[in-house]
Amino acid sequence: MPVQYDDIQVGDLMPAYTSLPITRTHLVRYACASGDFNPIHYDETFAHGIGLNSVIAHGMFIMGIAGEAITAWIGRKQIRKIRVKFLEMTQPVDLHNYENTKDRATITITGKVVSKYEEHGEKRIRCDIVARDKSGSRKLSGFFIAALP
Amino acid sequence: MADISKLGMVFPSYSIQVQKNKIAEFAAAVGQKDNIDDIREIYRDEEAAKNNGYEQIPIPPTFAISFVFWTGGGLSAILETLGVDICKLLHSEEEYDYLGDICAGDVITRNMKVADMYERGRKGRAGWSFFVTVLETEVTNQRGEMVLKARTTFIER
Repeated sequence: MPVQYDDIQVGDLMPAYTSLPITRTHLVRYACASGDFNPIHYDETFAHGIGLNSVIAHGMFIMGIAGEAITAWIGRKQIRKIRVKFLEMTQPVDLHNYENTKDRATITITGKVVSKYEEHGEKRIRCDIVARDKSGSRKLSGFFIAALP
Repeated sequence: MADISKLGMVFPSYSIQVQKNKIAEFAAAVGQKDNIDDIREIYRDEEAAKNNGYEQIPIPPTFAISFVFWTGGGLSAILETLGVDICKLLHSEEEYDYLGDICAGDVITRNMKVADMYERGRKGRAGWSFFVTVLETEVTNQRGEMVLKARTTFIER
């Protein structure tokens, strides 16, 4: 049953969505899927060369995870807009030090409905979203707009 | 540092067909699935897509970034054109307006321009600054319908 406009109230929470711990393999898969081959996302020597401790996730990968979170709740066809700002960088899990690094690489997307309104003949909601890792560092914040039945 | 004389510059138009396999690959990547059979049904099953109101398998919400990276030489060509140093590049904002469906089999055309360029910072002893570039992309389909607008902001730190 799709989410109905009348069933949503301002202040309602989007169901939280948590990623798997992000590995370097996930970053390579995302690079190939998206075509974003900036070496900062998969080449450790490049990352070290510009002063980072390790490769970092694509901001767009985190936004892609947010897209998964949104469409786990609201039908893909209902989405009208998504806008995000990227905040802290995300380092993938180190497989030889998994327990100590998995939290920094595990992303949870949360959201809260902030308005309901009619626009272009549609009943729409605006929902603010935030991505955080398990230690609380904020990765992105923004919002989406959806038209609901 | 980006070349501010590129402000207002319009990139050439590029077209690309939306491929079913690329949709599945993208959905697997953002869904962190090793097996294509485990991705959300609408991204791999035409019947499921049709039951959700699509004529064909739709793209995931952030798939449109690939239209920029898989045409016209991709990231490195854009950075070279604008004079941006990849060692200093950080993506700071991304925005999509979904105006119509984009599905497997569609041939989309992307038209991108440099919408804004400016320096942000604070002068003085503890001064810092970075250079901001904003790209706007309009995506039309084979019927000439505008189906998506994207706004990408990146900085050089």
